[in-house]
Amino acid sequence: MQQSDDVLIELSNPLNESALTFPVLECIHILGFAFSIGTIAMVDFRLLDVWMVRQTPSQVARDMAPWTIFGLAMMLLSGPMLFLSDPDMYYLNHSFQMKMVLLLLGLVFNYTIHRKAALNDASGARAKVVAAVSLVLWAGVIFGGIFIAFV
Amino acid sequence: MLLSFAQWVQATGLFSAVRMSWYVYPVILSLHLVAISIFGGMVLMTNLRLLGLALKDRLVSDVVDQLRIPKRIFFVLVALFGILLAGSKAEEYYYNYFFWIKMSLLALLAVHALVFRAGVYDKAAELNQVKKMPGRVKLAAALSLLLWTCVACAGRGIGYVEPPLEKLHAEIRTIFLR
Repeated sequence: MQQSDDVLIELSNPLNESALTFPVLECIHILGFAFSIGTIAMVDFRLLDVWMVRQTPSQVARDMAPWTIFGLAMMLLSGPMLFLSDPDMYYLNHSFQMKMVLLLLGLVFNYTIHRKAALNDASGARAKVVAAVSLVLWAGVIFGGIFIAFV
Repeated sequence: MLLSFAQWVQATGLFSAVRMSWYVYPVILSLHLVAISIFGGMVLMTNLRLLGLALKDRLVSDVVDQLRIPKRIFFVLVALFGILLAGSKAEEYYYNYFFWIKMSLLALLAVHALVFRAGVYDKAAELNQVKKMPGRVKLAAALSLLLWTCVACAGRGIGYVEPPLEKLHAEIRTIFLR
């Protein structure tokens, strides 16, 4: 019974009907994290006092915010669809599990501590630590994503 | 000749080391993508500003000029990691049509830079005053967005081309049979 159900699900999964669906979703995913992680990184570089220094951290954060959301929306729409193409494999993949933990931490961090530091124009060691944590978390999400195919 | 060059490159110590360890290759691939996301984000924001779609409250020069140096640094990083990846599988990539599509697109981007850099990206301050963005500026931005998006997609496509096992050297072949 269980087995025939699995077969039915596999046969009827619309995400696996065309060989193009998965790679196209992957391209949207890549574009999504260029928008989201790219714009978050610009805020981080401002907090680190290296680039975008003609604006204050709060200005950079406000400028980038809608584009970060835009990128996150692309990622969080394409990502679950990639997942649903083969849920059993992803669910059990340790790298995927790690990626989800880091993604959750990244999102929470971005909209709490990171956002507060940027909007309050934090400077000095505190701002630099926040920026470094942000960069490491988002780089970790990408590492987790890549390693899904290698573990 | 290109094929024997590819075979020679991948046989060198550095590129063999990348290929032979199970984790070095994905680590470099991850770093390639981290750098791409940051470089890509800057390319997107620069060109969307030139198109008048993003950061409209900021001067064109504030966006274009301030992102130039980081864009260059991260492009160099993307390219370095990319060369390590391609070099470690040079013989396989020789047969990969998506790799050649990607290289052709990068060549087109070099042409894009030759055509538009001096007149558009080097003159960002002059664009602060204009009421309506000139057509050539919008053309440059739109082409850049299109070409870089295609580069990213072609890069992803590389992983989908099955290596022609029968043509590869025995030592390389073993990787795929592991």
